[in-house]
Amino acid sequence: MTERRHGDVTLRHHHPPCSALDRRAALKLFASGAALALASCGRPAEEVVPYVEMPERLIPGVPLRFATALPLGGYGRGVIVTSMEGRPIKVEGNPRHPASLGSTDVFAEASVLSLYDPDRSKAPRRGTEIPDWSAFEAALLARLGQERKRQGEDLAILTARITSPTLTRQIAAMQKSMPQAKWHRADPIEDDAVRSGATLAFGRTLTALPRFADARVALMLDADPIGPGPAQIRFARDVTGARQLRPADDFLRIYTVEPSWTLTGALADHRIALRPEFIRNVALVIARELGATVPHAELPEGVLNFTRAAAADLKSRPGRAIVLAGPRQPTEVHALCHWINGSLRAPVDFIEPVDAVSAGHMDSLRTLAADIHSGATQTLIIIDTNPAYEAPPQIELAEAIAAVPFSVHLGPYDDETAARCTWHLPLSHPLESWSDLRAFDGTANIVQPLIRPLYDTRTAHELIALLGSAVAPSSHDIVRANWQAQTGTADFTAWWRQTLQDGVVANSATPKIATPAAKLPQIAPAVASNSFTLTLAPDPAVWDGRMANNAWLQECPKPFTKEVWGNAVQMSPADGKRLDLVDGDLIRVSAGQAPLEVPVILLDGQPDGVIAATLGYGRPKAGGIGNGVGVDFYRLRTAGSPWATAGIEVTRTGRNQNILRTQHYFALEGEAEELQPRLRLAELAQGHALLRPVDADPPTLYPPHDYDTYKWAMVIDTSACIGCNACVVACQAENNVPVVGPAEIAMGRDMHWLRIDDYIVDGRPGFSLVPCMHCEHAPCEPVCPVAASIHDSEGLNVQVYNRCVGTRFCESNCPYKVRRFNFFGYADGEEYGDLGADIMKAVFNPNVTVRGRGVMEKCTYCVQRISAARSEAEKENRTIRDGEVITACQSACPTRAISFGDLNNRDASVNTLRREPHAYALLGNLGTRPRTTYLARISNPNPDLSS
Amino acid sequence: MTTATMTGGYVAPAADEHWTVPPAREPDAVNRLVSAPLLESSLWSWRTWWIGVAVSSALTAVMAVCIVWLFIKGIGVWGVNSTIVWGFAIANYVWWIGIGNAGTLISSMLLLMRQKWRASTNRFAEAMTLFAATIAGIFPILHLGRPLYFYWLTPYPNTMTVWPQWRSALIWDFWAILSYILFSIIFWYVGLIPDFATIRDRAKTPARRAIYGAMALGWRGSARHWRAYEILHLTLACLGVPLVVSLHSVVGMDFAASLMPGWQETIFPPYFVVGAMYSGFAMVACLAALVRWGFSMKALITVRHFEVMAKIMLVAAIIMGLSYATEWFTAWYGGEHSDRSLVAFEFTGAYWPMFDALLFCNVIAPQAFWFGAVRRNILAVCVIAVLINIGMWLERILIIWNTLSHDYLPSMWRLFLPTIWDWLLMFGSLGLFALMFLVFVRLVPIVSMHEVRRLVAEENAG
Repeated sequence: MTERRHGDVTLRHHHPPCSALDRRAALKLFASGAALALASCGRPAEEVVPYVEMPERLIPGVPLRFATALPLGGYGRGVIVTSMEGRPIKVEGNPRHPASLGSTDVFAEASVLSLYDPDRSKAPRRGTEIPDWSAFEAALLARLGQERKRQGEDLAILTARITSPTLTRQIAAMQKSMPQAKWHRADPIEDDAVRSGATLAFGRTLTALPRFADARVALMLDADPIGPGPAQIRFARDVTGARQLRPADDFLRIYTVEPSWTLTGALADHRIALRPEFIRNVALVIARELGATVPHAELPEGVLNFTRAAAADLKSRPGRAIVLAGPRQPTEVHALCHWINGSLRAPVDFIEPVDAVSAGHMDSLRTLAADIHSGATQTLIIIDTNPAYEAPPQIELAEAIAAVPFSVHLGPYDDETAARCTWHLPLSHPLESWSDLRAFDGTANIVQPLIRPLYDTRTAHELIALLGSAVAPSSHDIVRANWQAQTGTADFTAWWRQTLQDGVVANSATPKIATPAAKLPQIAPAVASNSFTLTLAPDPAVWDGRMANNAWLQECPKPFTKEVWGNAVQMSPADGKRLDLVDGDLIRVSAGQAPLEVPVILLDGQPDGVIAATLGYGRPKAGGIGNGVGVDFYRLRTAGSPWATAGIEVTRTGRNQNILRTQHYFALEGEAEELQPRLRLAELAQGHALLRPVDADPPTLYPPHDYDTYKWAMVIDTSACIGCNACVVACQAENNVPVVGPAEIAMGRDMHWLRIDDYIVDGRPGFSLVPCMHCEHAPCEPVCPVAASIHDSEGLNVQVYNRCVGTRFCESNCPYKVRRFNFFGYADGEEYGDLGADIMKAVFNPNVTVRGRGVMEKCTYCVQRISAARSEAEKENRTIRDGEVITACQSACPTRAISFGDLNNRDASVNTLRREPHAYALLGNLGTRPRTTYLARISNPNPDLSS
Repeated sequence: MTTATMTGGYVAPAADEHWTVPPAREPDAVNRLVSAPLLESSLWSWRTWWIGVAVSSALTAVMAVCIVWLFIKGIGVWGVNSTIVWGFAIANYVWWIGIGNAGTLISSMLLLMRQKWRASTNRFAEAMTLFAATIAGIFPILHLGRPLYFYWLTPYPNTMTVWPQWRSALIWDFWAILSYILFSIIFWYVGLIPDFATIRDRAKTPARRAIYGAMALGWRGSARHWRAYEILHLTLACLGVPLVVSLHSVVGMDFAASLMPGWQETIFPPYFVVGAMYSGFAMVACLAALVRWGFSMKALITVRHFEVMAKIMLVAAIIMGLSYATEWFTAWYGGEHSDRSLVAFEFTGAYWPMFDALLFCNVIAPQAFWFGAVRRNILAVCVIAVLINIGMWLERILIIWNTLSHDYLPSMWRLFLPTIWDWLLMFGSLGLFALMFLVFVRLVPIVSMHEVRRLVAEENAG
């Protein structure tokens, strides 16, 4: 690490002659001791050499940025990581990468915290021993000796989804040397039905990539393209891009039929809640309307009207209409959608699957379990997956793994699977690794490390290489050699440098293939069922559970419920009434086996007879942060239908548990429409402007401020806000926002500087981001007795932490309630869990003060970024250009819903946006003159369905 | 001068009803009665006193523990949250400062209005004021996130040349409390000087004579002394009345000078002043009953005192009721959605039982004072006075809770859940108050001897 060198340099430089100490020498000794203590690194035993000249590119205090990629569900999202003196501290999107487009998602933003997680496993473990890697290598070699003789007959590798070209090639090479060895690929966020649906329709497995930019009508059958996932950013950008202000017939209209709330459902112009098994009937009705000879399907009156209207709309826009089915729908529905899209000439591209393994995820797990039971697998190597926790219980894989004579688990944590394996090996974090990844569309990029591994960890490449030879090369060499072989360029060094710099391998997207003709599948309509169905989904905060030990994600309020630190099950209010339940009541949910006890949240828009839950919680061995948080719904998962379990029994326990949430403590009283105005595109076209323009300020007695330099302002487009939370976590990472933990959340305290308000109008949720409004007449300023809350010359409402005595009058008087108080030393000695661990200090952004106990804090418009831009501009003797300052939330936003700029710059986009007819100021009638303003949420409903 | 002219428009008592009763109708009897607890302590059974001291010391220790714990852990030990950032500390502060109002009120305003019945109650009412204001002064400091920097509210010279922010109501408040406490101490001490001299003269041990003599500042009771005393006392009283009014007006402005629904109301300053006098009188009535019972002062604190205080409380209750009604009316009449929904929340929201209790205690219960029999029943007056104090405390906490729980953005609406430390600190402060009062009754004459002597003289003359 760079600091280590720093510290040592200081030490050596000041090393005193041990003769008589004069005052100066003593002071120098003291200073060097203090410097050493600050660097908190030990002096190495070997001789170290101070640098006489500064290493290239390293200027203390000036961050470096490197392009790399982070995996989600195996697919890569390109990122650019900011490194501060050798410490990666912030993840931003890579504009060149098709799965990032310059934006990020919650998981990418939070990954820097996982890097420094003190619960990461740090050394190999066998039982209770901590041997070193050479002991493992010896044990593996001995084992492999026997395996090679049998051509790897009883060797199996289990991985999650792998898209890394190098790793795939390595595994293939290993299988070549041991032809009988098996590779099982099973990801808990599986897509078996999606893949088999394509196979059924086209005769071969293809991946369909919708082109939302070209679509004008879309029907989502339980599909959530803009929900969390490896393509979220791209799809969200495309979908909201097609929903910019434009004539109504050029505006993407979305219909959604879904069994639980999704981000796509929240954005849709029309949404219907329906039992998951009935969604096939909607597809059947659509297909019949399009002339397919499929069986007649029954639907309730309202759903039928909706479906017919959607079908008419789809039919009227050939070539621009698209129907998508989600992974929860069965094979036949996917195949039928392919047929429908075919007949609509839908804007969909097809590519060969990026995940080349043809076997199903659940089949792989079944085969592995059967092999272990039959003794066909004696040596099992599990790489970066946690089947003991994630596999459906009926497969009984956890028990099976424990029975394997020689099992190895390579993973970032000593988790549930590690506990059942002979060996647990620590895996390097992606930010410490050389590797490569492919995006959802096949685009490859090289993963380069930002930091040397913090612990004695290795990458999957190195482990697989060990299987091939006794002396494994480093993963850098493996990855580089692979690409050298692939590219065949003459000047590979230049190619390599350029690729690393760009963060994306040029022209590496999987080539599109001509749209194949889809076969009409055999599909029977669904019939009514009376029991509960449980639908599952990856969690918007902890994904499949692998992020469960990330405190930023645990404390990230989920869309719709605003729940943190848990995963309550969602139920319709009618069902709740029938079962006599209120929010937080514990219910017993069972599907034949051992029941789970879960708190319930009653949510409007949840269909009757369907309860919805997310995966990834209830982990017994996630780490200090994630252990025992929430309920493990993998226990109710079936291998046959992993995303929806029918025949669920729900009984009430009569007990209640406090659901930890950051909003929704009160029912609305009709304010929502005022606080989050919504307009129809048609109304806007007819000149229906909003109630009050942004600048319609009530009169004031105060003289106007004179902003002669800059006048910062933010505009938030609520039409584009999909509620994904990327901004919330980005703000947390950028601004050193502390985690408070579940007990503090229960007390009603939270520290997020940025929150997403979720208001429901006519049964439809809508999201609006609420940072500090930076009011020109800020109510917080005159009430502070010590002038800690003040107005600066550029109109920023700044909080001087050092001056704050903590009267909290500012937050009392803030109509937006955007200020946050350090009731305890959340970042100052009273941290939650192990977030106060020394290593966690590495994640801090050195440009932002870490706030102490008893002071108020709030959104600063990322003033540190403004300062950086100002000093750059001053160096060049110019003013800051529009778009030069990008706040952390703005940078993260997948849909570019946030604009930031200088109102004194006439050409700035914020100026234009503030003059839009649908611009409004939140609570502008109070005379606060907020600098943060909004654009109203625009929808484009079908006039035939509007009634 | 007759009683009737002395009391101005006030209905004069019947000839046989006086503000003192016969055993105390001699100046020397007054001295004897009042100085007995100080000088002839052997005549008394101090058991009740010792029990009181033990209980209140225990509560004071609880308060000390609460404060130490608060300083160690931070104000997160309380129930305050991101939305309701103010809690018990502010409510307790406003409540105590309200209690602290009545002493000065009785001493100054009633003095200026020549309500001579005040003579037998003003001393301990002033002591009550002093103690309550002191306790009230502690709470804003405890309330701070970083209490060690409370002095940043003062305009002291510093290297940063940063001064307090004068637009903040908290700064006005800081000065209001500070000047009020300083005034209370001076006013109380000035009133005590002749009585210290009396105690000095009656003291039986040299030590007491020396101590009380020092505190009497060489008072000899000469006509010159009396003249100077009268001028000073009246002048201070003239200063005191506006101070009392300004103090609680400023406390009201802590809320009124904001933007929050339910707070930004012009009625707040006068309404807070009345509320403060109301709770202060209720506390004085309770303490008067205790003093009367504890030190056998039936001759000096008579049923008529309770009756007149009950009448004042009745008037205050009516004013409070009118103020509440005015708030509701303006919320409706103003038509602001947030104001209207706040009033609806007061009546139907999560805190409605407390709100109903507050209306009962502050407006309904004191209506019993319309009946003379209730006013003359000391126990009944005390019960209602305690109810009033509870009601006023509820009012203070609900002003904070209702507005902050239910302001402009429903997404941030939350509830306040008090913790054990909130309650302990509040009851601890009651303990500290009781302890200070119990110590006071053994060190200082609890009734102003010279003023009662004058009252007796006038009554004898009349």
